Amino acid sequence: MLATEDWWAVWVGLILFAAGLLSIWGIDAVGWMAKTKTWEWSKFWDDPSFNVFLKASHGKAGKAYEGWSGFASLMMTFAVFGGITTIGAYFQGLNVKKYMLGFTCIFFITFAAWMAGHEAHFKAAKTSQSVLQSEIYGSNVYCMTKVNKCTRKINKALKKMGVDVLGGDVPTKEQAAAAVKKTKKAIRLSWGLQLGGGFSYILSLLVGLFIGNFMKPFARFMMEAAKPEWFIKTAIVYLGVKLGHMSISSTAKVGGGGDLMLDLALSGAAAAFVAYLIFWPIVYTLGRKAFNLRRDASAVLASGISICGVSAAIATAGAIRARPILPIAVSMLIVVFAMVELVVLPAAYTAIAPNQPIVNAAAMGMTVKTDGADAAAGAILDELMVAKHYTDTGELWEEDWILAGAVLTKIWIDVFIGVWAFVLALIWVYKVERNPGESHVAVSEIWFRFPKFVIGYFVAWLTYVAIVIWFPESAKAADSGAKVVQSPMRKMMFMLTFVAIGVITDFSKLKGMGRLAALYAIALFAIIAPIAYIVSYIFHRGLVPPVVSG
Amino acid sequence: MKADIELSLVHDGEFWIGSNNSMEVKGSTISELDEELKRSLRKTGDYASGACVNVFMGFDFDTIPTWLRQYHTHYFNRTISVHL
Repeated sequence: MLATEDWWAVWVGLILFAAGLLSIWGIDAVGWMAKTKTWEWSKFWDDPSFNVFLKASHGKAGKAYEGWSGFASLMMTFAVFGGITTIGAYFQGLNVKKYMLGFTCIFFITFAAWMAGHEAHFKAAKTSQSVLQSEIYGSNVYCMTKVNKCTRKINKALKKMGVDVLGGDVPTKEQAAAAVKKTKKAIRLSWGLQLGGGFSYILSLLVGLFIGNFMKPFARFMMEAAKPEWFIKTAIVYLGVKLGHMSISSTAKVGGGGDLMLDLALSGAAAAFVAYLIFWPIVYTLGRKAFNLRRDASAVLASGISICGVSAAIATAGAIRARPILPIAVSMLIVVFAMVELVVLPAAYTAIAPNQPIVNAAAMGMTVKTDGADAAAGAILDELMVAKHYTDTGELWEEDWILAGAVLTKIWIDVFIGVWAFVLALIWVYKVERNPGESHVAVSEIWFRFPKFVIGYFVAWLTYVAIVIWFPESAKAADSGAKVVQSPMRKMMFMLTFVAIGVITDFSKLKGMGRLAALYAIALFAIIAPIAYIVSYIFHRGLVPPVVSG
Repeated sequence: MKADIELSLVHDGEFWIGSNNSMEVKGSTISELDEELKRSLRKTGDYASGACVNVFMGFDFDTIPTWLRQYHTHYFNRTISVHL
C-alpha cells in the first residue's frame, strides 16, 4: 500500500483532507495554500508585486496566515506538496533526486502558467448587467471575481444611490457608470476572451506539449516527476470533497425534485456499462476482420480504446497473457490520442451542443481515455460551457458539475475494468489458449486491478456528507478547511496534471505504428465518439447544473 | 492452493522466462514455458514420477517501463499444476 502511485493518491488526498477538517476544532492547517487571483496587465504596472497574482487561502480559523505574502504562500505550498510527494516517490522506488528536481520544475512552470492564465483579458467574465443590459451599463464591464458577486455589488451601489434594481427601477447610464466605478472588483476592458479558469488549463497544456515535443532534453530531465495519473488521481480524491459539498447543496435539485448528484452517479454507471458492451465487440471485430490483427492485439486494442485506456490495455494484456510489448505499444497510442481528444473535444462539444452540459460531460468520460486526460478535458469543458452559457444567456451555471459528470462516468469505467479483465482471463485461459496445467484464475486478480484511488474519492465524499448530516453544528467550520482542499488544492493538482501530461506526450511516438494507429483513429472518431454521445444523450439528456443565485 | 515452487516471470522480447534462485526456464509461448518447466522439474529429481507440483508465477512488474507503471500496477499472476 506504499509502493504504488494509486495508493499514494489516496494518502496525499486524505492526509490533506484530514488536515483541512482540523478547522472543526478551530485549527487552520491548510490556510497557507497559494490561491491565484485575477489580475489586469495595465494595473499590474501601477503596483508590481507578487501579491497581485497570489494570496493565502485561509478561512476564518486561519488568522495566522492573514499577513502572509503571495510569495510566502507559494513557497509553503511548494514545500508541503514537494515534501509529501517526494516521500511518496521514495516509497514507489523512484529516483528521489531526479523526482525532486523534476517536481520543482513542473511546480513552478505550473504556477507560472496558472498565474498568466488569470490575466483579466483571458479569464474575467462580463457582469450580468453587461451581458443583459449593455445599452445601459456598456458591454465592456468585466468582473475580477465571481460574476454573481460583482452583480450583487453593482446592484448594492445603485441601491445606495436610490435606485432599487431588484425592485424594478431602471438606472440611467450615468448612474450605472457611477455604480460600476464604485464596485472595486468590476473593471472595464477593451476586449476579453471570458474563458474563466479554462485559459490557465489550456496554457499549461500547451506549455507542457511544447516542452515534450520541442525541448526533449528538458522533458527527459523532468520525466521522473511527470506523473499525470498520480496527480489527477489525487485531484479526484479532492474532488470527492467537492462532490460531498455539492451532494448536500440545497441548490442541487432538478425539475422533478430528484437529486442531480444521484442522477449523475446512477446514469453514469448505466451509461458506462452500456457503452462497454457496445464498444468492445465492435472494435475487436474491426481489428480482426478489417485489419487482420492477431487475436491478442485486437483484444488489447479493443480494451484500450473502448474502456479505460492504458490501464485497460495493460489489464487485458495481462489477463490474456499477451507479450508485454503489446500493451506498451498500444499505450503509446492511447497517450498520444488522449492528448488529441483533450485538445479537440471540449471546444467541439461546447460549440455543437451548448445546451447539453451533462450529456457532453458523460460523453467525454466515455470517449477520452486515461483518467488524466478525461478529468483535464472535463475541467476545460466545464469552464468553456459555463462561460458560453453565461455569455449567451446571462444565466450562470454552478461550476464543477460538468467536470463531476465527466469524472463520475470515467470512475465507473475504471471500476469495471477489474471485472472485465477477470472475465477475459477466464475466456482466454479456459477457451482461447487452453493450457491444461493452469488450474484456475484467481479472483484476487479483480482486487489487484481495482483502482485504489476510488477508495479515497468515496471516503472523502462520504466523510464530508457524514459530518454535515450527523454534526450539523460543525458543518460551517468543516467547510472552511474543506473548501481549501476542494478548490485551490484540487485545481493545483489539475494544473500539475496538464503540464505533466504535455511533457510525457511525444507525438513522434506515432511513427511506425501503422495499422494499429489507423485502427485506433478510425475506431475512436467513427465508432467510440458517436456511440458514446448517443448513449450519453439517452441517459443524461435534459440534465443541467444548478443556476447560481444572486 | 499452496504453491510448491514460486517463480518470477518476465518477457525479454522473445521468450517468457520463469526463474527463482535455483532454476530458470524459458519458452517462446506460455505453453512452451510450461512444457519446459515440466522437463526441468523431472530433471531435478526432487519430485517423484506422477507427482503433482503446484507452481506460482508472478509477473515482475518492474520490467514494465517506468512511465507506464503509473497507469496500472499489475500484469498477471498464474498458478499451474504440473503433473510429472
